[in-house]
Order: sequence, then C-alpha cells, then structure tokens
Amino acid sequence: MIDDPERLVRAAQGGDTLAMNDLLDQLTPYVGRICGPIALGNGPDATQEALVAVFRSLRTLKEPAALFGWVRAIAVREAVRVARREGRQVVAELAELPARGDPQLAIDVQDTLARLSPEHRALLVLRDLEGLDEAAAAELLAVPAGTAKSRLHRARASFRKAWTS
Amino acid sequence: MTANWPQVELDAVRRLRALAAGIPGAVVTERVFDRPLPVVWELMWDDGRSFAEIQPDMHAITDLTVDGDRVSLHARSRYGFRAHLQGTVRPGWCWLQSRFLLIGMAAAEEPGGRTRVALTGGVRIPARAALVPIGVRRESTKSLDRLQELVLRDSAG
Repeated sequence: MIDDPERLVRAAQGGDTLAMNDLLDQLTPYVGRICGPIALGNGPDATQEALVAVFRSLRTLKEPAALFGWVRAIAVREAVRVARREGRQVVAELAELPARGDPQLAIDVQDTLARLSPEHRALLVLRDLEGLDEAAAAELLAVPAGTAKSRLHRARASFRKAWTS
Repeated sequence: MTANWPQVELDAVRRLRALAAGIPGAVVTERVFDRPLPVVWELMWDDGRSFAEIQPDMHAITDLTVDGDRVSLHARSRYGFRAHLQGTVRPGWCWLQSRFLLIGMAAAEEPGGRTRVALTGGVRIPARAALVPIGVRRESTKSLDRLQELVLRDSAG
C-alpha cells in the first residue's frame, strides 16, 4: 500500500484504480472538513460533488505536490455552489447536524455559521481552518483583497457577538 | 473553536459515486433493500462466498487472502476465464481490480432500517482506469437482481 499522496496521484493518473481508492481514503476527511462548515446541512452533497470533480479531473493535475491546494480550491468552490443552490434548506436542517464535543457549543457554532453567507463561511474556513492569509483566500475565492478583508471582519464579528450574547 | 465546526462523514455509496466518476465508462447502479446494513452486507460479501454468487458470470473464487482490509483472490468465470483480483474490502465497501476486471460495491444505511446498495464495474481496458462501455449497466442490474433473490431468501428464513 502506498501512503504518500504524491505517489498515489501518479499511480492513479497511470490507471491504477487501487491507488484511486487509497487516494479517496486520504482525501475524503480533508474535503469533508472544508465542505462541512460551508455547506452545513448539505455537507454530504457538497463533499460528494467536490470528490466527483476531483476524480473527474485528476488527470489534469500536473503537479502532484500541489494536490491538497488543488483539492482545497475545488472543495471550496463546490461547497459554495451547493450552499447557494440549497440555501433555503440549510437553516431548516441545522438541528439534524451531528454535534461534536460540547453539544451546546457545537450548536452555537453551527447556528452562527448558518447566519453567514456561504462566501463568508468559505473565508472563515480558508483563514481559520486552512491557515491561508487574506490575499491567498481572496485569490481562491476570486474576490478583491479588500472585499475579503471586510467579509472576514463581518464574519468574525458575528462569531464574537454569538459568544458574548 | 474550530474543533466544533461541522464535519462530514461520507457514506460508502457517496464514496463509490465519487470514485466511479474518475473512471470513463463506469456506471453506478443503485437499489434500496428493506433490510438493515449488516444483513445486506453479509449477503453481498460473506468472505467471498455470496460475492461470487452475485457477480455476473463468476463461478468460484479461490486463494482468498485477507490482510486487514486488503484482499487478494482468484476468480474463475463460468467460461473458464481467470482473474487475480486485488483491492480493499471492509464492511459496506469493496473495491477490486485485476488487469481486465473492475468490481466496486458499496452499501450504506437508509432511514427506516433500510440499506442502499450501489454497484459499479465491468471489463477494464487493460491497466487503465477505464471500462469497456458495453453492457455495464445491464451486468450491474443482474447483480442487484441476484442480491434481491438472496435478500428475499434470507427474509423467508
């Protein structure tokens, strides 16, 4: 079994479907971690659609070393698209989301995230989960740096308000 | 704080749809069975016994070796063809390839104690992640029909 993602990508691009299977094992938790907070109740749909897009275009990935950055961009794009498409259903399904850790805290996080737009949630994920700087997050979301900064400020303010209320 | 952010656990059927998307010629065929996941999965795999029963044209499997979730086996068709299949099998998931064959099976819980089963696979274009796009859906449908028979037989006791 190959563990190294770069070698897995090369083997998968060479036609080895077992390498594709192992790559799926490695990518699914990562994609789910990005799609969950952006697509919320539609997280499974977004994760599936992001992985479909990843495997459909895996042959086009020229630099296997850039795998996770490439996957991140696809996952954010698909999560925002699914969240926009299914926007109205998200809030209604929040109560069904599984809570992790402190149940009340988890519900607060989900509730606060649900009050933000998908684009705001994407910015929070890229900055706070993925550790991108504002310029890189803005570029990935194809918005001007100033727009990203103000959106992030509003998103964080929503979180602060939720914690202190 | 981010530890409490919602995360996604993707079920096996959704995973199979994603993986099949990367294989030109592959089709995913699905059916929902009115039995719980552990029962249906036992009927789909059963250490290779029922697996051979539901696969089209498969007569028997031999030399099954299991190392964790890694599996290797030899399959023989009714027409005498042999295939050395290797891959991964775990509850609800089976992904096997040989030089000329690809077999994917997934099962996931549905509300009400039911189980969704998804199948893909077929004749592989040798050593490539692609299938010969002939009869793919028909063969998967045959497998689902055979599984349905096993489920009915099992339900009847």
